[in-house]
Amino acid sequence: MTEKNGIEVEGLVREYKKGPRAVDGIDISVAPGEIYGFLGPNGAGKSTTVHVLTTLLPPTAGTARVGGYDVIKDGPKVRGLIGVALQEAALDPLLTGRDHLRLQATLQGVRKNQRHSRAEELLHRVGLADAADRKVSGYSGGMKRRLDLALALVHSPRILFLDEPTTGLDPQSRTALWEEVALLRREDRVTVFLTTQYLEEADVLADRVGIIDQGKIVAEGTPAELKAEIGRPSVHAIPHREEDRPRIAEFLAQFGEPLASSRDVAVRLRDGLVLTDIVRAVDQNGIDVADLELRAPTLDDVFLAKTGRTLEGAAEEAETEQPAMRPA
Amino acid sequence: MWDVVSGVAWRTLKNALLNPQIAIPTMLFPLFFFTAFAGGLSQLDKVPGFDYEPGYTAFQFVFVLLQSAAFSGVFTGFGLARDFEGGFAKRLLLAAPHRSGIVLGYALAAMCRWLVVAVVLTVVALVAGMNIGGGVVDLIGLYVLAALVNFCGFFWSGGIAMRFRTIQAAPLMQMPVFLVLFFAPVYVPQKLLEGWIEGVASVNPVTYFLATGRGFVAGDAPHVLGAFALAIGLGVAFWTWAFLGLRKAEAAGA
Repeated sequence: MTEKNGIEVEGLVREYKKGPRAVDGIDISVAPGEIYGFLGPNGAGKSTTVHVLTTLLPPTAGTARVGGYDVIKDGPKVRGLIGVALQEAALDPLLTGRDHLRLQATLQGVRKNQRHSRAEELLHRVGLADAADRKVSGYSGGMKRRLDLALALVHSPRILFLDEPTTGLDPQSRTALWEEVALLRREDRVTVFLTTQYLEEADVLADRVGIIDQGKIVAEGTPAELKAEIGRPSVHAIPHREEDRPRIAEFLAQFGEPLASSRDVAVRLRDGLVLTDIVRAVDQNGIDVADLELRAPTLDDVFLAKTGRTLEGAAEEAETEQPAMRPA
Repeated sequence: MWDVVSGVAWRTLKNALLNPQIAIPTMLFPLFFFTAFAGGLSQLDKVPGFDYEPGYTAFQFVFVLLQSAAFSGVFTGFGLARDFEGGFAKRLLLAAPHRSGIVLGYALAAMCRWLVVAVVLTVVALVAGMNIGGGVVDLIGLYVLAALVNFCGFFWSGGIAMRFRTIQAAPLMQMPVFLVLFFAPVYVPQKLLEGWIEGVASVNPVTYFLATGRGFVAGDAPHVLGAFALAIGLGVAFWTWAFLGLRKAEAAGA
């Protein structure tokens, strides 16, 4: 039995008619109070997974329990304990922000005498108190996102699903939303299932990360564990002159395995080597470089190691290969 | 369940009544039809065989009342289709513990929306000199019959909206209702119809609703039980159609 606000997924499959498997037999376990980052490129299956877990879409096969309830058999109970902010903020342009909160509170069964105060509290919390009586059609993208988050929180959910909550936001709004999510976990012990295609977001926010590609989970663990799997740092050299690139690549290859990069010349270092070894060797051999940098492994390196592609490249592939597929 | 019904109805009504782009056409169409038919065709009551006692204004009032009931339902179905197309329906499906409350909320909104139109239409008809031969019970019967037509109109169009989930399905919602309304004795009593239109009208349920409704206004309603049984039967059929549509929308992930 899943703990009160955890998520358990086993062998989850979702197939679309005339399409490939958007989700292809995934297993996920999210502990209560945890922020789980679900990372992957466009079309990887992130949103489809969220739609299944939030009872918006029935699975083709497998089981999913959210807060101890089966998403198929106990849909109403699941919906009662989750808050959801989908990728496209589903808002009515003719209603005001306050109207939305009133409607959401009514739908979620918040007590009548608490609806007004809860709406006011949330409007202040997301910084929309001054815009509360304006129609949503006049809101900016960031304001819509913040309203969407407030709506997801109106009934104090135990589990929060955020589907790419910061896509399209400016850096300031993005940071503000991250702080809000971190606060929710810290103060209210809310479990957060967060999908993102931003490595930094998963790295900063998530306790654990699941990386999904083409409907399958290719890696899972804490950001530190995943990076440790890759283990060794990489060295990146930027040549002074473009014609020196092959010579530098050949030289650096003695220190580790080369990495594909169009911007610089890079190698993943062999065990035991540190940056000073490379600097000393470069100096002794008269190799002319404009810049030499040691980089710790990133989640993009993890994605690259697991799939053979970068996240950015995978997203571009998804856009060109799957025009008929639903957004996922 | 009531929270969902009332929430959805409140939001739908707020949009429908406070936004001129939605409110004005809903109100203007029935008034236009009433003015055009009752005013422009009023000489039809002098046609031999036209023996409707309260006169042509009352004769047309009943048709326009039933038509406004059906179309208030259909227009609410348009709103539902727009909500699916625009994604707002996802919010409703995610928030509502019991999703049948969403459909019932729209149905309640359709009814309230029609009631506003019905009040205005009735006042205009009375000002225009409509004669009423029936008593209070007769008039209640007329409005209850129209309310059942309103439910049928919404559940029909709502079923289409939830299957297609796009406003592009609007003609499919509207056209059959338009046809079934106008293939009934709209301008003259059924006994004055001839040829194919008489044949179609004789099997059209709206013919019976009109006859009973006009009878209520005249104070001498024919086949009341039959008309109500037919309206309730159609209501149950379209209710089923709408709820199966909801299941389709759920299976498709809205």
